[in-house]
Amino acid sequence: MNARAPQSRNVVTQSLAQIGACGLFLLTLLGAIPRSFRYLRETTRQLWFVGAMSLTIIMVCGLFVGMVLMLQLYHVLSIFGGTSASGMVVALSVYRELGPVVTALLFAGRAGTAVTAEIGLMRATDQISAMEMMAVDPVAYVATPRFLAGLIAMPLLCCVFCAMAIFGGHLVGVTWLGIDNGTFWSNMTAQVDVHTDIVNGVLLKSLAFGAVVSLIAVFQGFTTPPTSEGVAYATTRTVVASSIAILALDFVLTAFLM
Amino acid sequence: MNETARATPDDATLVRIRGLTTVLNGKTIFDALDLDIPRGKVTAIMGPSGTGKTTLLKHITGQMRADAGSVHVDGHNVAELSREELYKLREGVGYLFQNSALLTDFDVFENVAFPLRQHTKLPEVLIRNLVLMKLQAVGLRGAARLMPNELSGGMARRVALARAIVFDPQLILYDEPFVGLDPVALNQVLKLIQTLNQTLGITSVLVSHELPAVQRIAHHVALLSNGKVVAQGDPATIADDGSPWTRQFFGGEADGPIPFRYPAGDYAAELGFAGAAK
Repeated sequence: MNARAPQSRNVVTQSLAQIGACGLFLLTLLGAIPRSFRYLRETTRQLWFVGAMSLTIIMVCGLFVGMVLMLQLYHVLSIFGGTSASGMVVALSVYRELGPVVTALLFAGRAGTAVTAEIGLMRATDQISAMEMMAVDPVAYVATPRFLAGLIAMPLLCCVFCAMAIFGGHLVGVTWLGIDNGTFWSNMTAQVDVHTDIVNGVLLKSLAFGAVVSLIAVFQGFTTPPTSEGVAYATTRTVVASSIAILALDFVLTAFLM
Repeated sequence: MNETARATPDDATLVRIRGLTTVLNGKTIFDALDLDIPRGKVTAIMGPSGTGKTTLLKHITGQMRADAGSVHVDGHNVAELSREELYKLREGVGYLFQNSALLTDFDVFENVAFPLRQHTKLPEVLIRNLVLMKLQAVGLRGAARLMPNELSGGMARRVALARAIVFDPQLILYDEPFVGLDPVALNQVLKLIQTLNQTLGITSVLVSHELPAVQRIAHHVALLSNGKVVAQGDPATIADDGSPWTRQFFGGEADGPIPFRYPAGDYAAELGFAGAAK
């Protein structure tokens, strides 16, 4: 126990130092946003890379999440004779929690790791130093476009995920299990509130998650040791730190937004 | 430019280094190093591996801060420049990285065009012509549309050289420019560095171990060891000046004032021979 104490203190200190450095990096990043406007083309390219290229995984996962959710709810609600409400419950679950959270986790796995690995390799091969030597600010040219792209892409991807989940729920509930189509939609539209569920749930949460995942991905890439092992560790840290941050932030946001 | 950061520029000296002291991970890299790099000349920085030649280039370009001392480039104290001023200074400096450092997302043409696109509003036709001229100078005009991963090490180095000179800067820093070049490419690169120096008056600083190549183009050679300039002068005489430093370095001997072996404990004791410590 005693032998472990310094090690665990060390881990805590290191984690706090990482969070502090990440906070300072965020300030640098925000400061570089005005300078990054001239790299609009790079931001668009990154939007394609982190947004459009993530569409397949988001759509497929959204579809299956909606399908399995409807299947589970149908069987539970049929005990109480409330299967007509299953469409509405699917929608609320997806809009409020599953949509933003699962999209963010998938986004961290698909786009966050790619961003970290790309920037880490750029550091390892001196591309970042070369930019500095060519008087091109790497934070404005490399980091900020990727951060902004993540910020813009996440809410859009979340909307696609939610749409696919509802479609999956409809497919299983209405087409397969025989819930009335009118009941499915009317219960959903009656209970889903635009402000509480769509704005706070889908848009606000996904915007916050997008900012956190993009910040962690870019920060890990910029601070990775310029070695193969360093890049591998940084990529892993992006997934681990993003997943923890998403779930912790989800709790905080839910507590404040409910 | 910040007036306080600007000293009176000496026309004969482009880079003035005074009392440069750098300690990295407890190891002293530079110990009150003094060096002048003359304007419009080719200066070669030589020395054993790990002696801090690349680190010296990083100090000149403001990529690293010294623990003590100063580096003045064209009269500007690099350490006192703001980020914007440093970037302004770097626009007039070309840098050839040891590992080429080409941007892997762009092809050869776009790599060379990158500084032009970032800092000028030149029409596309002019950018194209400038890039093709620089690529022609390094013999790679035909490779303009290749990606960096399709180039050999020597070709990548020549592309990086074309990128470093695309702005015709007042100062070009070459970090090991001759590594990986075949004799033909080496000869052409030497000619190019010489031409840039003679026709445009560009100041060049080379970090290299290749004495024959250095002797062909350098006007001034500085030999670094133990954190200081241990010998300097023109290349014809420095190799024969008779000092123990130059004799050991150019003669390739392991024993002498330039340490070949990294500091270590007793050899026999480390091998575990009984009684070695006695």
